[in-house]
Amino acid sequence: MVSLVPLAIAFSVFVLAIGAVLVLWWLGDPERDRSRLPVDPTPFAGGHAPQVHAWNRYHARYYPMALVFLAFDMEMVFMYPWAVVFVSEGLTAMIEMGMFIVVLLLGILYAWREHAFEWT
Amino acid sequence: MREAVQDLRLDSRLRMVDTPRAAAVLLVAGDLDPIDLDALARVHDSIPHPRATVLWQSSAAMSWQSEPSSVVVTAIDPVPQIRAAFRDLLGDRRPSESAVGGGSGLVEWRDVGPYGQGGMGMTGGTPYGRPMAGLGTDRDGLRLDVLPVRLGPFFPRLPVGLSLDISLAGDVLTEVHVEIPALPSPIGPRSIFARALSRPVPIADLESARARDHLRWTSDALLAQGMPALALVALRAAREVQPGDGARVRALAARVRRSGVFRWSLPRQPRLDGATIQGMGLGPVSRAAGLVEDVRLEDDGYLALGFQVQTIDAPGVGGWWQMRLDEAARSLDLAARAGGQMTTLLGRVEGPRGRIEAGDTPTQRALTLLPDVLDGLEWGDAMAVLVGLDLDLAEAPGSASRCTVAA
Repeated sequence: MVSLVPLAIAFSVFVLAIGAVLVLWWLGDPERDRSRLPVDPTPFAGGHAPQVHAWNRYHARYYPMALVFLAFDMEMVFMYPWAVVFVSEGLTAMIEMGMFIVVLLLGILYAWREHAFEWT
Repeated sequence: MREAVQDLRLDSRLRMVDTPRAAAVLLVAGDLDPIDLDALARVHDSIPHPRATVLWQSSAAMSWQSEPSSVVVTAIDPVPQIRAAFRDLLGDRRPSESAVGGGSGLVEWRDVGPYGQGGMGMTGGTPYGRPMAGLGTDRDGLRLDVLPVRLGPFFPRLPVGLSLDISLAGDVLTEVHVEIPALPSPIGPRSIFARALSRPVPIADLESARARDHLRWTSDALLAQGMPALALVALRAAREVQPGDGARVRALAARVRRSGVFRWSLPRQPRLDGATIQGMGLGPVSRAAGLVEDVRLEDDGYLALGFQVQTIDAPGVGGWWQMRLDEAARSLDLAARAGGQMTTLLGRVEGPRGRIEAGDTPTQRALTLLPDVLDGLEWGDAMAVLVGLDLDLAEAPGSASRCTVAA
């Protein structure tokens, strides 16, 4: 029968550690009583009250991000078979993959120049 | 007072924060436009408990009714009282201040159904009594929500007192209205630039003040770009530079360039080209657009020192940064060789932000450009442009009522 003593000890240490963290957290927070007082939860804009609710739909422009991601994610598909033959092919495979990566790198630089990595 | 508050950043005994949510003590420094008291009350009520207010040489002390009453400081250094108030708050020796009536009009979620479902709004209801944003056309031609936001008068990156009504489509500003406040004094009475309007002043003093002003702006601008350590270096330089310290400013400018802020942070598209601002006398902004506009060219005192205007052809935020740093260094060089030379021109002076005349200041002229220059910018670029223009409302002339400019 497996002894449960080590498990019980580990569990006790775990419970004690969690307890110590909670107690120290409570003791170390001088604002523990007053921080629960209600505060104004509206966004800060410099002193004016918000006119409308903050929920709004905007154009996040995911499409260029998604296209760029797909283009560069697909390179991994070619790297798996390359990794299989890399040892047998040696330097030739290395150079070929280097050329492939350089072409991709040029694509990244082009996308960068076209501001494709900017969020909006 | 603006400089005194800025200098508090150098004091390691306290930490200044950008939002009331991160604050414990509200410091109200200097005079306030009475019309901004409601907004100040709202800032106060946004500070989480426990909280306290310190009124430092402030006119708000007369009308500020908080419970318990706020700490009023008239001393030159407010830090001991701020720290004492904070200690008392933490030690329970001082109760947290109650709201002073700056509520945001928070109401319950309301509409049909027990959870606000149904009716108007994104998921139904009218969230917290506020309407949802209206529809508008964004830059991609889509009909999406446009969020109206009113910034100021105490927004960290805006000059105190300035309110902007903007419409945001995502993070793009699609509409900008500027509310230009009325201030009691046309220009800081203690400013050497104000004195130079009415009597000759030493050129060495005037140029040193210009260099310090540019360095203080540099500190603010670096802070706005998220570089607080370099901002402190610039602020320390602003306090310490003397005539002949041009090399120190050039070393600082080199550090700013090496930080990559020009390449990575500042918007690169040109703003306010020479044709747009010709004749407006916007100081470094004009000279960065290649315009030879400088009142010092009309002053025989400056001409006797061989003063020449340097311009660059880089209209835009980066050019404004570069121009101010260059001019700060050159001003200190000029101050070193000015000796006892006095200004001779009266009635107009070249201030740090441009041409100042009685009742006509560069900030006032720059404010009229704001709606057009901000329209269509993304949020971060708009803030960089706002900071880059170096607006100082203490420089704007007082008027009987507020007026608005829009685009």
